[in-house]
Amino acid sequence: MKGSAVRTRAPRKRPVSRLARAESRTAWLLLAPTFIILAVIAFYPFSRVLVSSFTNARFASAADTEYIGFRNYRSLLSMTIRELPPQLDESGQPIVENGVPRYESWVRVLPREPLRYRAVFEFSLLGKRYVLGAVTAPFVRAIWDTSVFTVIAVLLETILGMVIALALNAEFRGRGMMRAAMLVPWAVITAVSARIWEWMLQPTRAGLFNTIGSMLGISDGRTDYFGNAALQLPSMIAMDVWKTTPFMALLLLAGLATIPSELYEAAEVDGASKVRQFFSITLPLLSPTLAVALIFRTLDSLRVFDIFQVVLGNRRFSMASYTQDLLINQRDMGMSSAASVVIFVIVAVFAVLYIRMLGQRSTE
Amino acid sequence: MTKAQVRVVRRVFFYLLIGIIFVYLMFPFYWAIVSALKTQAELIRTPATLWPDNPVLTNFRAVLSNDRFLRALLNSTIVAGSVTFLSLVVGSFAGYALGKMRFAGRSPSLYVILAMTMFPQIAVLAGLYAVIRVLGMPAIPSMILSYLLFTLPFTVWVLTSFFRGLPESLLEASRVDGATLFQAFRLVLLPLTAPAMVTTGLLAFIQAWNEYLFALTFTVIDPPSRTVPVAIALFTGEIARQEPFGEIMAAAVIVTVPLVALVLIFQQRIVAGLTAGAVKG
Repeated sequence: MKGSAVRTRAPRKRPVSRLARAESRTAWLLLAPTFIILAVIAFYPFSRVLVSSFTNARFASAADTEYIGFRNYRSLLSMTIRELPPQLDESGQPIVENGVPRYESWVRVLPREPLRYRAVFEFSLLGKRYVLGAVTAPFVRAIWDTSVFTVIAVLLETILGMVIALALNAEFRGRGMMRAAMLVPWAVITAVSARIWEWMLQPTRAGLFNTIGSMLGISDGRTDYFGNAALQLPSMIAMDVWKTTPFMALLLLAGLATIPSELYEAAEVDGASKVRQFFSITLPLLSPTLAVALIFRTLDSLRVFDIFQVVLGNRRFSMASYTQDLLINQRDMGMSSAASVVIFVIVAVFAVLYIRMLGQRSTE
Repeated sequence: MTKAQVRVVRRVFFYLLIGIIFVYLMFPFYWAIVSALKTQAELIRTPATLWPDNPVLTNFRAVLSNDRFLRALLNSTIVAGSVTFLSLVVGSFAGYALGKMRFAGRSPSLYVILAMTMFPQIAVLAGLYAVIRVLGMPAIPSMILSYLLFTLPFTVWVLTSFFRGLPESLLEASRVDGATLFQAFRLVLLPLTAPAMVTTGLLAFIQAWNEYLFALTFTVIDPPSRTVPVAIALFTGEIARQEPFGEIMAAAVIVTVPLVALVLIFQQRIVAGLTAGAVKG
């Protein structure tokens, strides 16, 4: 009946629209398996995570769960900064040891009611000493560590990747072999590369870095890269930079290939130096590729899990490794879900940036 | 300095830079191989040696007769192989629809797929585990299903751009000949996209082979289902002693060599596939 109505109104359009409708139906049929799978493994599980982030659910337990509102989020994200007063002696003078004033312990400064705060870290600013306290100190610490890790690792990867890309962009003998070598770190399983680095960074001179360090006289051959808190993040960054710089270099190399060589020839004729050429031709024309690569790597680093879990276990966490630890070892499904949502939101901000940038470029 | 001298110095510095880059990229893998060839005594000797005094295959033999490790290799192959197969089949359907057909909802679907390529795995971990428990799924099928979370959107995204690049005239010609859309897909477009399939399949395989978070979590209660990354991360020797790094390095080399070989064979295609998403947009 519907078909005949169409026929009487616009007889010539009918075959086209029927074809278009058939095409649309086939398209959705072809897309259906993808979206059904994504619904089962992404949309539905994520909605479960959202729901359980508002409950006190325990992992793998038959106990009743209750809705507790935003309590998980409050305890994950509550933080405060308090000043640490200097310790005073009997005469009311600040105690100074070896030129360093002594401060009160954070235990006396941070609030205990209604939620108990613990120290994340202490820092000095304008001659005063402060402490950052949080209810779930490991998670706040993990957010901070993951951010530091991301910023430094991505920065180093970009600089190193750029150097490698520029070097490999030149014509030279052995270029093919170099391009092949670049894929090696990328092909090594991340968890496996973590164990290789763990072995190289052993706290004795059986480890490569301690051997080299003691040969150069810069360490006693007993540097504990994973036990010493100050060296944990740099070690993680070194692993990540090795593993992912090749990817960065590949992206930048592909971007360099799109820059027309006439531009350099013209610059050469005008007598512009190589450095000048880099800043006025290469960098501006590479910036779209660079931006995409940067966001891509940032997204990846924010989710870092493998190297932290394998090497540091529960000694120091990334956001993802703490969330997994909450779920599996502490069996706190509610808190873990809330942490998942926090990570999701952080990643989503960068993802939106990324999609916008891609959209802009495809409309250009 | 004359101009010729300047050129020579420049060349020397350039090759020096290339040499440093090469060593940097290869050294950790070289170190794994060398350590795997050392005896236990030499392994813990200080200072570390750059090359074993007398290379032995003891560590490789120990690993290759370790049932848990062999089981993990088998598990990984099954999981990564199945994930690749499923992603290619399902992904080529979707890629064809998004790359070659006009319909309402095409561009929102593309955005959803692109967004999904960035979806953080950790965000669904607890929920996915709940789904798996409800379905009563064993660890291996659950890994196969859940890995589609990252391989499928990626496959769809890359295949969409490959399909889009195929000439429209071929499709029209097949339709004039009376082929249905499905026939056009199966007989005309699929053979043409075989190279793209190989590339995407390889990348999906490597992603699945590499995965650690889901594998670690889902095999907690089912150790025999552990995949290679989990087995190596939790590797312990047959005899209780310090961490058996010689064997761990041997295992690392064994699981890496085939992958490096694959990657080197398909080098050009992998680079094209890796950069397709990001550079072409």
